Amino acid sequence: MVDFLSAYSIQKWLESCPQGYLENTVFGHPPEEKEPELLLSNPVLREETIRATVQLVVGERCALAASSGLINAAPDEGSKRFLATQTLDEARHVEIFSQRLYDLGVRKEDLEGVLSQYANKNLVKFAEVLLEKVDKKDFVAGVVGQNIVLEGMAFSVFEMMHALNQGMNPKFAHTLSGTIADERRHVGFGENRIGSLIKEFPEKKAEVEKLQKDMSYHMLATFADLFRNNRARPEFEKLGAQARERGISAEWHGVELREMQPEDIEKVLSETVLKEFKVRLERIGLAYQTPSRP
Amino acid sequence: MRDPLEGGNTAPAEGGDGRRYVLEDTGFDEVPKKYRRFYRKWKGPGDTLAPNEVLCPVCKVVIRSTRALRDGDRVYCMPCMSRLVVFTNDAGALEARVAY
Repeated sequence: MVDFLSAYSIQKWLESCPQGYLENTVFGHPPEEKEPELLLSNPVLREETIRATVQLVVGERCALAASSGLINAAPDEGSKRFLATQTLDEARHVEIFSQRLYDLGVRKEDLEGVLSQYANKNLVKFAEVLLEKVDKKDFVAGVVGQNIVLEGMAFSVFEMMHALNQGMNPKFAHTLSGTIADERRHVGFGENRIGSLIKEFPEKKAEVEKLQKDMSYHMLATFADLFRNNRARPEFEKLGAQARERGISAEWHGVELREMQPEDIEKVLSETVLKEFKVRLERIGLAYQTPSRP
Repeated sequence: MRDPLEGGNTAPAEGGDGRRYVLEDTGFDEVPKKYRRFYRKWKGPGDTLAPNEVLCPVCKVVIRSTRALRDGDRVYCMPCMSRLVVFTNDAGALEARVAY
């Protein structure tokens, strides 16, 4: 039996999540909160917000497919039950970020078209690398890809987005808070479960280390596409100036995000995620593989 | 109610000052209500930890105990389900490492 999961139960998940930080929320935020008028009325900002939100839906759809696919590959009952709750967490994430697209004016009948139009091709490749392992019912590689690489990336991306939105868009910041709380459980499962499994299956090391390298490359390429040559840069600069006037900061990992150019934010985000991968993988006995830089 | 400090090392000893701490609810809502006061959100690199606190390296939540922590204490991080062992790092600060 998996020792660290002995204290885990569906009951605790109920008390922590739906009866805890999600209590009295609607799609992850207090019901009275709305998207800021500026995001809805400025076509450039609205389109860039839709583009960014589409990446969240794409990432969460991948996480939903991976966590549900790993249930039947899990070697023990505790992991199966945990992955069942993670599947519901991921389905909720897909729903709340899809709802955000509707809140931004995307019509329900246009959702799939909007996702196809804006989904970043590198993020799609990132998902394909992971889902190939899940399809083969490779539990060790699947959990490393899903709960360490994908969730580790999501943890940092959500925290950074939370810092950027906290003062300017409480609705979205609250939505992100709930997902960050979920990610804590997911990365905890990944690290603890693989920490013990990798000792049982040392022959899997080389394969999962390559998986991390490949997924990391596609992640960095996604960040590069999203941050570089962003046509909404002048609008974001105006937003930053407004935030400064109102004394709203966006501090994250010791830097003030609102004072930085998109390329610099990309650098901080990439380095933070890769450093977390390295530390996390080394803790569980895996060697971090430096990815190529796009 | 169970303190996240797991049993087995309860007497005031080396590195611990034996003080008891009253834990207030800090608004941390990611665990069932009765455990919430044992955890708080980490405020980033500038956040100073009290002698009864240690940072979970897995999920970056601060774990709080009702007494000062010391080398060898075992603590449980409920938000990410990690079992941790407290140790003193080279700089003399308390850290936690994961026990897989």
